[in-house]
Amino acid sequence: MAKFDLFLGLDVGGTHTDAVLIDDDGIVAHYKAVTDHDNLLRSVRAAIEEITRDAKKKNIKRVNLSTTLSTNAIVENKLENVCVIISAGPGIDPGNFTIGSQFYVVDGSIDHRGTEIKGLDRNGISRIAEEAAGSGIRVFAAVTKFSTRNPDHENEIAEAVMTASDFVTRGHMLSGQLNFPRRIVTAYFNSAVWRLYNGFADAIDAGLRELGIEAELNVLKADGGTMPLGLSRDLPVESILSGPAASVMGIAALCDITHDSIILDIGGTTTDIAIFADGIPLIEKEGISLQSNPTLVRALKTRSIGVGGDSVIHVNGRDVSVGPDRKGPAMAAGGKEPALVDAFNYLKIITFMDAGASERGISGLAANNGMTPENLAGAAIDFAVARIKDEVYRMLDDIHNRPVYTIHEMLEGKRITPDTVYVMGGPAEAFRDMLAEAFGAAVVIPKNYDVANAIGAALAKTTIDIELFADTGRGVLLIPNIGVRQNVSTGYSVKDAERDVRAHLAKHLQSLGVPVTEQDTEIIESSSFNMVEGFYSSGRDIRVKCQIKPGVIKRLS
Amino acid sequence: MIRAKNRMGLIFFPAFDWAISPTHPEREERLLYTQDQLREEGVFDIEGLVEFKPDIATEEDVMRTHFCFPDVAGVTTESHMISAGGAIKAARIVMDGQADKAFALVRPPGHHAMKSVHGNRGFCNINNEAIMIEYIRDTYGLKKIAVVDTDCHHGDGTQDIYWNDPDVLYISIHQDGRTLYPGSGHVDELGGPAAIGKTINIPLPPETSDEGILYAIDEMVLPILADFGPELIVNSAGQDNHYTDPITNMSFSAQGYAILNEKLNPDIAVLEGGYSIQGALPYVNLGIILAMAGIDYSHVREPDYNRDALRQDARITSYIKKLKDVVLESYFNPPSYQGLPPVGEFMTRKKNIFYDTDGIRETQLESILRCGECAGLFSLETYSSVYPLSLGIEIPLHACGNCEKEGMKLLNDAKKSGKYSTIQMINRVKKEYFRT
Repeated sequence: MAKFDLFLGLDVGGTHTDAVLIDDDGIVAHYKAVTDHDNLLRSVRAAIEEITRDAKKKNIKRVNLSTTLSTNAIVENKLENVCVIISAGPGIDPGNFTIGSQFYVVDGSIDHRGTEIKGLDRNGISRIAEEAAGSGIRVFAAVTKFSTRNPDHENEIAEAVMTASDFVTRGHMLSGQLNFPRRIVTAYFNSAVWRLYNGFADAIDAGLRELGIEAELNVLKADGGTMPLGLSRDLPVESILSGPAASVMGIAALCDITHDSIILDIGGTTTDIAIFADGIPLIEKEGISLQSNPTLVRALKTRSIGVGGDSVIHVNGRDVSVGPDRKGPAMAAGGKEPALVDAFNYLKIITFMDAGASERGISGLAANNGMTPENLAGAAIDFAVARIKDEVYRMLDDIHNRPVYTIHEMLEGKRITPDTVYVMGGPAEAFRDMLAEAFGAAVVIPKNYDVANAIGAALAKTTIDIELFADTGRGVLLIPNIGVRQNVSTGYSVKDAERDVRAHLAKHLQSLGVPVTEQDTEIIESSSFNMVEGFYSSGRDIRVKCQIKPGVIKRLS
Repeated sequence: MIRAKNRMGLIFFPAFDWAISPTHPEREERLLYTQDQLREEGVFDIEGLVEFKPDIATEEDVMRTHFCFPDVAGVTTESHMISAGGAIKAARIVMDGQADKAFALVRPPGHHAMKSVHGNRGFCNINNEAIMIEYIRDTYGLKKIAVVDTDCHHGDGTQDIYWNDPDVLYISIHQDGRTLYPGSGHVDELGGPAAIGKTINIPLPPETSDEGILYAIDEMVLPILADFGPELIVNSAGQDNHYTDPITNMSFSAQGYAILNEKLNPDIAVLEGGYSIQGALPYVNLGIILAMAGIDYSHVREPDYNRDALRQDARITSYIKKLKDVVLESYFNPPSYQGLPPVGEFMTRKKNIFYDTDGIRETQLESILRCGECAGLFSLETYSSVYPLSLGIEIPLHACGNCEKEGMKLLNDAKKSGKYSTIQMINRVKKEYFRT
């Protein structure tokens, strides 16, 4: 960033709205307010107005926004009616994937090589479009099996419903990944929040202009990266569940994470866990689930457990446990039942608000159960630490036991051995020594962690991932989610593919106004299979995955 | 969301970096399209269906089952140890109760690998199912296990390993050996003297379709299984009975495979052959997984499936009906061995084995000590075009004291004689496996 440039990061979370303004030297201003759940736009505008009050508006180069708008709409089922049109061909009964009130399966089939097996029933689609128009439906989702190998049928559906629609999500534009059920769910959600999201985006755009801010505007994603607002208008589903990722990227900005590390965000109700390998946050293999609906939305690997500062202490016989419930604040903060923070307060590990109230609470609960207050408080803290430790190790185990598909990975697979635990959140300091002992690792608690989420939003890089698929036998190359389709010669090799996929990725982002070069791109998977028919080679099946990995454009440490 | 009725473990290991040779059917590409199909179908998101990473089999796991010459490392690569480890993992998740059923979708295959291993035959080096079964018997103490081999080729390796084992029932359904590699698996191959009737072969004519194979399951396999009463059923699950398979001549379909697995209801399936990698495997594997998991598979069908074109000839139908009586008689009323040596003496058998993949010729002299109390001490003198005269000795599972003593004596005598380049010792009683 140049000398006077200002970056604005904004996280509209479920409870709080946080904002920071950052210049080359660090944080210029920060802001925190309670989120107006029923009017997120008001929360956003208030935050921007407030935090830029004393700033030179012209110097604001970048505004990055993490919002729960799409997530809330889905969770609260405030969704627009979508007409979902799919074709499936042979396989699992597509009726299993029914979603929304208007779900249609039409004839047509494409196989795993992208070969059309059965043409699409265009007449059927026209009838469906008429029916949808009759019931006032204006948004559609077109998803066909193996559309990432051949998007023709999805494009045909989109074309056929064009005049009847305001917007159509075509499944292959969401991700290059194979997963038909996830593609259906993701396309459905994308169309269902499309109008709401675009209204919001319009308002933010206009609001910034009113304030005289002409910055580039980006939206946070669950993978800890951003996407340009313009792109997000067609992919609003990509904005879901970005909050935890914003916090993780904030830690990455506040600390110089270069090794295998554990990130803990210990709040009032929950502890969120993320893992870094060699300084890079780990990504969920398939995509994030929303209300137990698996999607194709790429996300950081995070886990949340019900252990936080306000988690209630329970005693059952001699067993002391903490959480997962919270019954208001801890007693130190005026609550009625002793919580984890009260245990820390009692043992004078911290001094938090009304220590007398904590002492009364802990002593009372201990007396009722025939324990000493010291033992009760100690046991509660031990439980909380053990619970966090167990969950972290379970997560690491899952990562280490993740299936792999080559002998090389089977034998050489990397093991993650965290040497540092980065902790943020209100009770972070209280846990410091216990976590150090539990993990046998250094504990780092960054300054400004209370606005880490907004810092993460401000400094997150633009991320994207694409998958190239080439079949030199058929002479085709596809990169589904950025709409690339071209012919390749029989001599086309995996090296060519790696070069081309980088170039396409850079070109795509440049066209969206994101200043990247091919050096910023990274090949994450690359394979080439000789295809044999009979005993003769019939070409190569080449697959290359390329991404811009999550990261921050600047560190504040 | 789809929920599996049976909690199902899937060990998927396609070994994308291993091939016998670049254009060999057993090459990197083999499970690529299966993986594409399974991923696109969202199989790994099905509730109750969990994907597991394979174990890597140890040398001990292999030495418990095989005599390897010169040694385990000499006849295996990492891929074989992972494939066998995949089968072991399948066993562990079922036996430990992590899943009700498991399918080890692993390669390379194993069912042509015999007790003695000098190299690769029929694309196989070590026998994944046998290594798994011996692991199960050793670790979990199961007694009676049935293997139903549904590969199109006779599983001569598995048959050889369990030839004289009364506790492991081996049933193979395959294309008649007179028309296909390895040429064995005739109805009269019924097991050794201690296990006669515990090897059952059901050779079917070329172009047998769903009708014929499912008839064999209903009318032959299931009644035999019901009588044997195994604690565990293993499907040695080849997929080369498929009508598009390039190296066989049967007319079985993906629907047929799914129905077969629903009827057979195996606890564990382990992939064997199947080389129609685009036209069959994606659909067959999907069908097997759904059927084992108890999920509707009625929409699983090959794109080019044509029921009428695959209808089986009436002559095949009547042939199989006649075969039924012979097969059932073989199990329920097996003939007894004629002219057996008396208890306390060795019964011998000479065998010539050809390793088609590696071009090795092996000569074996197998000896079984006739014993009234256990399956009897087993030994095998072997030499091949790549390895000089060697010996394998096995004191079998549940061996009696005398056979164990005789086994140790045999070992000492063999060492003293200096005749053998390598001696492989399997002592299942003491769980000792070593080579000298």
